[in-house]
Amino acid sequence: MPSLRDIRNRIGSVKSTRQITKAMKMVAAAKLRRAQDAILKTRPYVQLLDQMLTRVAARALAEDTVAHPLLAPRTLRTADVVVITSDRGLAGGFNSNIARRAQRFLTEEGERFERIAVSTIGKKGREFFRARKVEIVKDFTGIHADLRYEKAEAIASEYTQRYLAGEVDAVFLAYNEFKSAIAQKPVVVQLLPIETPAAESTAGIDFKYEPSREALLAELLPRQITMQVWRALLESAASEHGARMSAMESATKNAEEMIAALTLQYNRARQAYVTKELMEIVSGAEALK
Amino acid sequence: MALTLDIVTPERRVLSVSCDEVRAPGVQGGFGIRQNHEPFMTALEPGRLTYVEGGREHHYAIGGGFLQVADNRVIVLADTAESAGDIDVDRARAAFQQAQERLLKLTEQDENHRAESARVRRAAARLGVAGR
Repeated sequence: MPSLRDIRNRIGSVKSTRQITKAMKMVAAAKLRRAQDAILKTRPYVQLLDQMLTRVAARALAEDTVAHPLLAPRTLRTADVVVITSDRGLAGGFNSNIARRAQRFLTEEGERFERIAVSTIGKKGREFFRARKVEIVKDFTGIHADLRYEKAEAIASEYTQRYLAGEVDAVFLAYNEFKSAIAQKPVVVQLLPIETPAAESTAGIDFKYEPSREALLAELLPRQITMQVWRALLESAASEHGARMSAMESATKNAEEMIAALTLQYNRARQAYVTKELMEIVSGAEALK
Repeated sequence: MALTLDIVTPERRVLSVSCDEVRAPGVQGGFGIRQNHEPFMTALEPGRLTYVEGGREHHYAIGGGFLQVADNRVIVLADTAESAGDIDVDRARAAFQQAQERLLKLTEQDENHRAESARVRRAAARLGVAGR
């Protein structure tokens, strides 16, 4: 039976834990709002870029010419999987879910390729694969701490260059897709080769293109790739904050339950102590009679 | 108003207005758009984009991108876009000089040369727009 003081100390320590988890939950909620907002703000650009690309590419495809090396078909021999995790933990299953999803992808899809390699964005993913002795070919650091569009640009252009140089035939992004504040879905999506835009007929307005359709395509395609990377980074960030918010919410609830249980135990022990004292006094007084 | 103009960047929608005229820095030279312009799509250089609304000019520094006109609707997909009033001249100048110095250290064969020279042109465009 723990002493009264032991229980009291225990309650104190659980209370301060609760304070921390509560604060973390609040911070995560604020960051989540901002991250969600950032995702929404990319929508107009994504839509318009898609529209332009479809218009320009559909024509090129209809004419059956390879309008750009990025659209040229090729046999897939080597692949890179870029796994996006967070730098920080305490976010429930956020990191292990996506790391395990990526690992499953490696074993399931590995046979399709002669070589399949892992790159990581985020500290937790790096630790996960390093612990499992999986070789990491490239580790991007400091992405999450200061998330900016240029970072997505740099990552996208690196893979585009490697793709065009023939060093890699396919690039996949593995990340947590943001479903809602409490739901994230680990996904693996193909970044390269570009999924060819559906060749729907864009009859109607006949545009004049400057300098030329091919030149425009060459400018549009890299931006499409960058946008996909940017999207993935933003989705992952929002998911991370959502996951941390739920994790901290349930941690706070657990702490509260524990405090209630401990307080009950404390009161019982105190009651027992008081009763015992009283008994001693009464029996002492009896003895004196 | 004759035209609608939307400027959108990867990070946000910057502007959505109606206006009379738009002037933009195309890769093959600057051009202007007024009512009933033919359907047209072009790539943009880093530079100054101006729109005229009721005789008043508004300037934006854009960092390259695309422009599309159809049905009197002008859509600009810019990599970056800032209104002239939002740019701090001194900081724009410092950024420009910094970018220039970095570029001068690179040879033309360097793999970063293209990216750096694009950065210099972007910085120059910002400074040019802010300076007025």
